[in-house]
Amino acid sequence: MSAMIRERESATTAALDASGLVHCYEGSNALCGVDLRLEAGSVLGLIGRNGAGKSTLIRAMLGLIEPLSGSAFVLGEPALKLSDAVKARIAYVPQQPEALAWLTATQMFDYLSRFYPRWDRGFVLRTLDRWQIPANRVLAKLSPGERQRVDLIRALASQPELLVLDEPAAALDPVARRDLLREVALRAGEAGATVLFSTHIVSDLERVASDIAFLHQGRLLLHCPTDDTKERYARLWLPANESASAPDVALSRHGHPDGSVSLVVERDAGGRWPKAAELPGARIDALGLEDLFVEIAE
Amino acid sequence: MDASILTIQPGSPEPIYRQIVEQLRRLIAGGQLRAGELLPSVREVAGFHAINPMTVSRAYGLAENDGLLERQRGKGMVVATSDNASHNQGARLRLLEPHLQQAARHAHELELPAEKVLRRLQQLLED
Repeated sequence: MSAMIRERESATTAALDASGLVHCYEGSNALCGVDLRLEAGSVLGLIGRNGAGKSTLIRAMLGLIEPLSGSAFVLGEPALKLSDAVKARIAYVPQQPEALAWLTATQMFDYLSRFYPRWDRGFVLRTLDRWQIPANRVLAKLSPGERQRVDLIRALASQPELLVLDEPAAALDPVARRDLLREVALRAGEAGATVLFSTHIVSDLERVASDIAFLHQGRLLLHCPTDDTKERYARLWLPANESASAPDVALSRHGHPDGSVSLVVERDAGGRWPKAAELPGARIDALGLEDLFVEIAE
Repeated sequence: MDASILTIQPGSPEPIYRQIVEQLRRLIAGGQLRAGELLPSVREVAGFHAINPMTVSRAYGLAENDGLLERQRGKGMVVATSDNASHNQGARLRLLEPHLQQAARHAHELELPAEKVLRRLQQLLED
């Protein structure tokens, strides 16, 4: 009964909605109870180190793997039992696309365009040219980068309501990467598309993501609006003689050889830093996102 | 004015929406943007810099609240004409605020007494 109520709620509000996802590979924990929800129209940047569990999380959220426990909903339907109607409204680009490898890009686009009512042929032609893809060579003979670019064009051309990209930036040169970011930003802003993308290029995330989720060792350490992240978190440095007064609650804590200590701390509801920031010699440093993530992930 | 007049630095500790507001403030105070001048649309700025349109909207909204911009029906955002906010003293003082805060922080770190620092600042201002 509660599952039905939940289903109905997410149908009206969230594009993706996962809770309590747990998954393991060969005994090592890939996901340790992840809750993640994407509101329609948001662009969520998922960041984390290699092996943090980003691809596993994406696959579990889309129902491409069955998690050990937890639930996932896509556009209101249970991820493991998606209807064809919902599948037609989503597009997913994996890190290493493999489908339809015996076709050329042109043949694949021609074939797929019949399944998507809003297929944008003009976009395909423009972007094939701009992204320098040999459109008449079979996909199996393309480099991994070219292959992923073809798949990105495929995903964007279908004009999906929900676009999910796993490390799309790896395959793109700076010009194509900027093109992709522009597409993502404008589609979300204007067409109301919802986007989930994983990356380790922090500047990309900062440009287009409305929200950031930071996955570390299978756990979400941080999930908040991009604009607020830099203002909400900072590094607190305490000299050796004050290191015992370090707050208990911190996203990370590093001791230095001289006895001083650095912590990543968060403002409270009233916008104040922890009390320890006022100790003599204490220092609060504003951090760019990259520094913030390195500080937390190290 | 077109979108290229703004510079976006994702790596900076300053959030992108604040970068936009502060740049508009400086461009207006410095006279590069004149009262009544039309700003590029949210879409143009977002497209040019490949940034989220909501970030641009938020920046424009804040700039409007601060009296830097005005929304003109059917036209878009223009540099404020009424009561020229950019030229009042409060607005100009706010531009200096981050620099003053930084100087104050450095003075603390160097353990300099306040009156020494103020005296020197006084001298600099009177020069």
